[in-house]
Amino acid sequence: MVEGGRTDAAALNPHSMPLVASFDWQFIWDHLPDFWEGLKATLKVAAIGIAGSLAIGIILGAARAHRIPVLSWLAAIYVEVIRNTPILVQIFFVAGALPHFPGHPIRLEPFTIAWLSVMIWGGAFNTENFRAGFEAVPYRYREAGLALGLSRFKTFLNVTLPIGGRIALPSSINTYISVLKNTSLLTAIGFAELTNVAYSLESVSFKATEIYFALAVIYLLVVWSLSALIRFVESRLALPEST
Amino acid sequence: MKRITIVFAALLLAAAAFSAWGAAAPGGKLATAAVPAAKPKPAKPKLPALPSQVKSRKRWEIGVKCDFPPFGFIDVRGNNDGYDVRVARRFAELAFGSKKKVNLTCVTTPSRIPTLMSNRVDIIISTLTWTAARAEQVQYSIPYYSATGRLLVPNNSSLRIASLSGKTVATTRGALYATWIRNCFKDTKLLEVDSPALAVAAVKDGRADTFMFDDTFLLGVATQDRDVRLTPDKFLTVPYGIGIRKGDTATTRWVNAALRYMKKRDEFVKILRANAPARIVPSFLDNVPRPKNTFAYPVGKDLTTICS
Amino acid sequence: MPDWVGPVADYMAHEGLKNTARIAVFAVLGSTVVGILLGTLMTIRFLPLQGLIRLYIEVFRGLPILVTIFLVYYALPTAPVIHHRFGVITGAVIGLALWGSAQVAEATRGAVQSIPREQHEAASALGFGWLGRHRSVILPQALRRLLPPLVSLLANVIQNTTIASLIGVPEVLATAQRSIERLQFEPGAESHQFAIYVAVMAVFFCISFPLTRLAIFLERRLV
Repeated sequence: MVEGGRTDAAALNPHSMPLVASFDWQFIWDHLPDFWEGLKATLKVAAIGIAGSLAIGIILGAARAHRIPVLSWLAAIYVEVIRNTPILVQIFFVAGALPHFPGHPIRLEPFTIAWLSVMIWGGAFNTENFRAGFEAVPYRYREAGLALGLSRFKTFLNVTLPIGGRIALPSSINTYISVLKNTSLLTAIGFAELTNVAYSLESVSFKATEIYFALAVIYLLVVWSLSALIRFVESRLALPEST
Repeated sequence: MKRITIVFAALLLAAAAFSAWGAAAPGGKLATAAVPAAKPKPAKPKLPALPSQVKSRKRWEIGVKCDFPPFGFIDVRGNNDGYDVRVARRFAELAFGSKKKVNLTCVTTPSRIPTLMSNRVDIIISTLTWTAARAEQVQYSIPYYSATGRLLVPNNSSLRIASLSGKTVATTRGALYATWIRNCFKDTKLLEVDSPALAVAAVKDGRADTFMFDDTFLLGVATQDRDVRLTPDKFLTVPYGIGIRKGDTATTRWVNAALRYMKKRDEFVKILRANAPARIVPSFLDNVPRPKNTFAYPVGKDLTTICS
Repeated sequence: MPDWVGPVADYMAHEGLKNTARIAVFAVLGSTVVGILLGTLMTIRFLPLQGLIRLYIEVFRGLPILVTIFLVYYALPTAPVIHHRFGVITGAVIGLALWGSAQVAEATRGAVQSIPREQHEAASALGFGWLGRHRSVILPQALRRLLPPLVSLLANVIQNTTIASLIGVPEVLATAQRSIERLQFEPGAESHQFAIYVAVMAVFFCISFPLTRLAIFLERRLV
């Protein structure tokens, strides 16, 4: 009985036709401009997010590595909270809870919420990456800098940062790529990035297979390219083995 | 060699079994309806035969909204309630004599039709407004509610439908308003979110200038929230229907007969009263099927392409 | 305690946490089993197999988890092979497990390859074949090195179950949002949104923080 019921409906369901025969390539082709618009938005937000994560990572990572009072503790709290809570909740928090902050509602537009939330997330992970990198710089190098008469700050700029930054490079790369992938979650607040375009398109055309396949291919191409690019840069900047 | 293979195979089987169990196990509170003790029921109406998969399963699987008061939402005890949900429970009662014989699955505007098409539910009672595009994908029952589009704005806004140019309009993803804006308001920015509450939040938080949506929901919001109001504009009056898979004639026949039965006995008014704030019920009495009114889908006219 | 807290907490705990736990447990189980299997297989010097597994790893680590879940839940059922319909929870489990297994496979490959050659050679010298060597010598050591990343994976998977809210799973985040919506439409319109979101963050923090500390501890002790 159950088989009969399901087969009746299933037989007439267009989705049970052979996959390749019904794959609507034309549909994807027609909608490439929409995907491109979404991709542009994704890349814009990711770029700002990555740049921001880099800055936050260096500054707070240095604060943590040098145990600067107060700032180091605040940074530690920031890092632990962000790393132990889901990014989607953080996005909704920035978008939905901040405007209801008791007393001082903070209202932001979608684009701002977008880059702000991915940057806050990326910054926390990057702080850890750079802290580990700076702490891994052998003390004798910093000693040498100080012995040469450089101030603590100049030592940091000329010794710890270049070396520690390179040590932190592999883990930073992972963080930046994750920032790019996390932009897909911004669809939840209606920001018109790539996943949002696909999702909205699917809600009106119902061509799930075509749309999500195309979406997956686009993301893989972007992520793999970015990955390859950064690894190329890393190989240029890598420290020689002997250090 | 044998032991490691057996261990791996056993683990894989266990994982597969766990996943299947996770899938098959009912989803807790949302699956079973918690209702007060059944009152003595009137004699069963003469309805056509139940669709075979529903009959053999001895329960309905129905997709409803969970984020769209007063049609589908979660009440204070964590149970589904709403106009659509009560229609679903009534179907269970008409088919099996008990309001509990239905599994309710939460759907959102973008997920409801895919959920129906992939056989995860038998029908969807989820504020499914009729559009020509949707009618190509799914079979609509006869109408069970009629909604009109309205605009929700902050109190101090002077926005009207004629002055939408350059503004940001929030609506839910895949709603007919989204299509209408894309077709007819080309210089208006669209903010599509997945739930009506997010759209209301967007208006209140300044991320959108207005929320274009169905009147029952918006009027409920405006009644409870003193910071927002509705503009006088009314547009896109189109009925909701129940979504059924195309070709599933047994289900269509049963559902339409059940709806006609409920309409004849004026049951929809009772359902409306149970779910809408008392203050707004009088203005919506004409939106529900009653013995003396008829609703029709605007077949042949795709209102979302008419931009007057 | 104000009255609104009781029903919200109840709903979030009984429905939300329950589903979060269910998804997380099965996703981690699936990831571990499939991941260890693939990671070990990858160390066999057979290029096509290595290439295939490498492709799997790069695809499911490269895709955002949301996209994987959309593919599994919306696109997969339309493939002619799949006749059994599955619900949102299974969809979420499969999606998370695909990502998780890619992570575990990569970690396993690294762990197995980090076992010094001397171990392989010593085992060979003692008469162990490839399978025996791996079963008795290599894998036990590799699995010990895998424990910290596995604990991290558990923490990550638990956090990533929130992504499933976007396909309709009533897990912690979704139940919190439904409660906020319900409160918004009650007379008074005080949705306590800020407090509820803080509560959601607190729930995840209290679960994830101990786990990440445990992972760090295990890393120091075992590796």
